Amino acid sequence: MNRIITLQQSVMAEDEKFASSIRERNARMGLLMVNIIGSPGSGKTTLLERTALNAGLAMAVIEGDLATDRDAERMARLDVPVVQINTRGGCHLEANVVERAMDSLPLDTLDVLFVENVGNLVCPAEFDLGEDFKVAVLSAPEGADKPLKYPFLFASAKAVLLTKTDLLPHLSFDTGMFDADVERLNPGVPVFRTDSISGAGIAEWVDFIRFKAREKRANVR
Amino acid sequence: MHELSLADAIVSALVKKCEEEGWGAVRVVNLRVGALRQVFPEMLRFAFETLVKDTPLSGAALEIEEVPLSWRCGECGSVWAEETGVCPLCGSFRRETVSGMELEIQSVEVEAP
Repeated sequence: MNRIITLQQSVMAEDEKFASSIRERNARMGLLMVNIIGSPGSGKTTLLERTALNAGLAMAVIEGDLATDRDAERMARLDVPVVQINTRGGCHLEANVVERAMDSLPLDTLDVLFVENVGNLVCPAEFDLGEDFKVAVLSAPEGADKPLKYPFLFASAKAVLLTKTDLLPHLSFDTGMFDADVERLNPGVPVFRTDSISGAGIAEWVDFIRFKAREKRANVR
Repeated sequence: MHELSLADAIVSALVKKCEEEGWGAVRVVNLRVGALRQVFPEMLRFAFETLVKDTPLSGAALEIEEVPLSWRCGECGSVWAEETGVCPLCGSFRRETVSGMELEIQSVEVEAP
């Protein structure tokens, strides 16, 4: 005789324990943790280099890539504490590997920890790493239609960055449609337009991160 | 690719449950998946069928209930199902997700040990 057993258990229950433990620890320390998500080549690492040079914040980075430690080398050159995770084909980071990586960072000296997720607009948006919020990074050459094609990321991000805006004059990127689609998916979300070569828009982005880091620190009980 | 991670999480959690609870063979796994979860049911089922081989879940059917997206307005309380974030009634930006984020093992059907 078969019986039906009700579980109502989250599929990611095991990994969510790691995410919760990261979130609790960060809350105790007042450490802001930001999960940066975007396609390969969208400018995530360059944005983080710019952020390190301009933020005046104690920051560290966890780099997620399928292979190589090239991104970690770029951050280390700026004296940013960094841990590289190679997923060897895995399309996203999960909280259990992130928690291990955090163990080798000087967390108590930091204002903000950035996690640069594996370049991908789909899977990374699904997995909770215990971060304070996700940031969606889209470069102008990828096209203005991407928010509606990858709605989960753009709807759940607490900030959206449009990078490589210096290329806009050479592209048929419909900025009106982009802004309208982002607004439709995620009303009121701040959108930053950045050009990491000239530095345009970086100050606004950095101010936003500084504000969030201060807010996090102020909420430590 | 992430369907494989999800299938792996489902199978691992249920194999553990089988051992802890002393269940017999698992015949059916009922899953609830929200519309916002970007899960492709056919790929998830394929990954599941591959991973259950040689486990107590071998041959189990994966039944996927797709849960539609809906929001509730934080101002006027109306509920809507459009994939737009703004309240159609009062235009407020304040909203909460009522459904669409589910990703849970609802229940299992098991044989007596």
